[in-house]
Amino acid sequence: MTTTDAVAVRGLVKTFGRRRALDGLDLSVRAGEVHGFLGPNGAGKSTTIRVLLGMLRADAGEARVLGADPWRDAVALHHHLAYVPGEVDLWPNLTGGEAIDLLGRLRGGLDPRRRADLVERFELDPTVRVRAYSKGNRQKVALVAALAADVPLLVLDEPTSGLDPLMEVEFQRCIREAAGQGRTVLLSSHILAEVEALCERVTIIRAGRAVRSGTLDELRGLTRTAVVVSLRDADAALAALRDAPGVHEPALTDGHLRLDVDAEALDDLLALLPRFGVRGVTAHPPTLEDLFLREYGDAVGSPR
Amino acid sequence: MTAVAVPAARPAPSAARRATDRWAGTGALVRVALRVERARLGVWLVAVAGLTAVSAASEADLFPTPESRAARAELMRSPAAVALGGPGYGLDDYTIGAMVANELGAWVALALAVLSVLLVVRHLRGAEESGLLEAVRSTPVGRDAPVLAAVVVVTLADLAIGLALAAALVGTGLPAAGALAFGLGCALVGLTSGATAAVAAQLVRHARTASMLGLAAIGVGFVLRAAGDVRAPESGSVLSWLSPFGWSQATRAWVDERWWPLALPVLASAAAFGLAALLAERRDLGDGLLPERAGRAYASPRLTGVAAVTLRRLGGALAGWALGVVAICALVGVLAREVVQFIEDEPALAAFFPEGSGGAGEAALSRYLLVAVALAAAAGVQGVGAVRAEEAAGRAAHVLAGPVGRVRWLGAQLAVALGAAAGMVLLGGLVMGVIAASTLDDPALVGRVVGAALAQLPALGAVTGVAVLVLGAAPRAFGLAWAYLGYVALTAMLAGVLPDGSDVASPLRYTPAMPAEPMDWPAAGVPAALAVVLVAGGVLAFRRRDLLA
Repeated sequence: MTTTDAVAVRGLVKTFGRRRALDGLDLSVRAGEVHGFLGPNGAGKSTTIRVLLGMLRADAGEARVLGADPWRDAVALHHHLAYVPGEVDLWPNLTGGEAIDLLGRLRGGLDPRRRADLVERFELDPTVRVRAYSKGNRQKVALVAALAADVPLLVLDEPTSGLDPLMEVEFQRCIREAAGQGRTVLLSSHILAEVEALCERVTIIRAGRAVRSGTLDELRGLTRTAVVVSLRDADAALAALRDAPGVHEPALTDGHLRLDVDAEALDDLLALLPRFGVRGVTAHPPTLEDLFLREYGDAVGSPR
Repeated sequence: MTAVAVPAARPAPSAARRATDRWAGTGALVRVALRVERARLGVWLVAVAGLTAVSAASEADLFPTPESRAARAELMRSPAAVALGGPGYGLDDYTIGAMVANELGAWVALALAVLSVLLVVRHLRGAEESGLLEAVRSTPVGRDAPVLAAVVVVTLADLAIGLALAAALVGTGLPAAGALAFGLGCALVGLTSGATAAVAAQLVRHARTASMLGLAAIGVGFVLRAAGDVRAPESGSVLSWLSPFGWSQATRAWVDERWWPLALPVLASAAAFGLAALLAERRDLGDGLLPERAGRAYASPRLTGVAAVTLRRLGGALAGWALGVVAICALVGVLAREVVQFIEDEPALAAFFPEGSGGAGEAALSRYLLVAVALAAAAGVQGVGAVRAEEAAGRAAHVLAGPVGRVRWLGAQLAVALGAAAGMVLLGGLVMGVIAASTLDDPALVGRVVGAALAQLPALGAVTGVAVLVLGAAPRAFGLAWAYLGYVALTAMLAGVLPDGSDVASPLRYTPAMPAEPMDWPAAGVPAALAVVLVAGGVLAFRRRDLLA
């Protein structure tokens, strides 16, 4: 954790009654990076974000956003960040356009060209009343209002959970542009493909604590590669690999040998396989989904 | 993977089956509704039955001799009393029973009516707006089931409270036949109001609008009865027969019980519920009568911030309250003449009013000004409740994530709520003063009544201040704010009837009852100081606590 971090959280604790929602969380987001924030339901992602936005006061630990205290200096801080909530609930009798303008005016103004450009890119009809929008369109209103703001930090809590794939692509384009402009993005999401596409570093939270943190490459190194190989002597290979170190659950399916191999043992495996006559090989690179599922007890899935 | 067995094609349901299918699931909905409402209904039942019994017992204590009751009866003949109470059945032989029916009947019925409107709207349009009805209707529940379930629940609630009321009154020693007539009469006013609310819930899109419509219908009914009773005391004119309140009082509880007037509210309720079911059958879920209008693509320059959007949201409801306040004040202004005339015709009563008939008029004005203050306070508490709703809906989190401080956000909304409530009281005072001045030919009355209205503002601030404090310190228990408002309003309305000292926690106790009494600055300072402390405390507590989502 350095002093130039956009978001620096250390040992954060938050309890609601008897439930310990945050149990000593550490999180650091460097300035200018796109940081993924992952975790199962109820892990404490939204609670963390609410603490960072000054809505909840932490019971213990330290949190600093852009160098300032999020609870005491909330208003001054919020001039420099924009937020998209997980569930968007806006004034039902305003139209989408009015809601965007109102949120902008509360911030001191929006760039009208940027606003118009975003409304067009997200294909949003701003004359419809908020109560008549579908869930995805309501989300677009919040996205446009946040992306149109000229701020160095974006805090996004599951911003695309209702968007269709085309809009998902558009969203990713906008975030890449923001990152290119040097803005910091904290993205909390369940859509692992999106996190893999956008984020440079990722923090995984579980039961109120950070269990993994690092770049995607670092994290991938912790998982296994799934390998499917078709061999001339598949049975002999299976017998040989059954007790090999770093090889997990070798099995014969449909004449192919499927197994998972640790990153360290991959080299030895590839040296061993030609002995059995390799006819074809598929290596499935570790995905974030594999990593994620592995963190929560399930075995890494083999390629289907 | 084994295939899921596809059920063999069944013949289409018969017409009879289709008819009963429309009500499928009603039983389950009723059970769920009763489960959800049981705490709230329990509180209302105890409060209504208990308060009425306490008032009846207290009246028995205050008027033990037939002479004291006869004197009270003479007072109750005045038009102001008739408007607020009842047509005055049994004034010639004013027993305690007749007193309870005449003076308390309208208010108990009003309480049941308000309860029924809110209950029905909550389970119909409220559930629709929140998406609950959508989840329910996706299961094998018929299209008419929600309305039918609402009918059953509100009928059970009203009857339960009405019977508890009757039992409590019998407990104080009143005859059973009259108690039953009274209890049923009040219960059926509630049922009719609930039925009207069921129709309103089909027409408009928002639960709040539907509630306001239902409450407005209650107000119209109350005013019709009041006007009709004033026109023709002791029998009620045509106007009273247009109102459910008039029907319930026509049972003449404890005087000469008649049961046939109770058929009228039953018929009216059945018709209204039938209409509501018809409307519900035909429309889409979530729709109202009017189609959705497209709006502006860009916000108008007047939509500048939190205060502006609050005005947008609450404007309709506030206008409704303001209308109610102005209507009551206008009515009282008109009646002032009647009161004065009445006192002048009855010299025996002049002893009660040392300032003469003018004093009697002013006493009536100050009494009804309290009613206007109570309505304005309700508007204020509803405004504070709207802040709570913003927080619960998540809009607070969204706005406060921007560069908007909590104090600024809350302050803007409170300014709208309190400002509107204060404005209502002053407007009501102005209307009452002008009309009373013209009917009584006393131009100085305008200034005195407006001054009286000004003197009530600290009490208004104190009551709303309690709501702000509850919002800041105990937001999940916001019902407490409404309970306190109810307490203040009740102790003000039933001032002569409740035991002495029961209004000790009400700011109205410390406010001089102008224009009848002179201004008492030190005493008026107490509620003013209290108002400031409460609002400040509530705002500070809000600033310190977690934001609930």
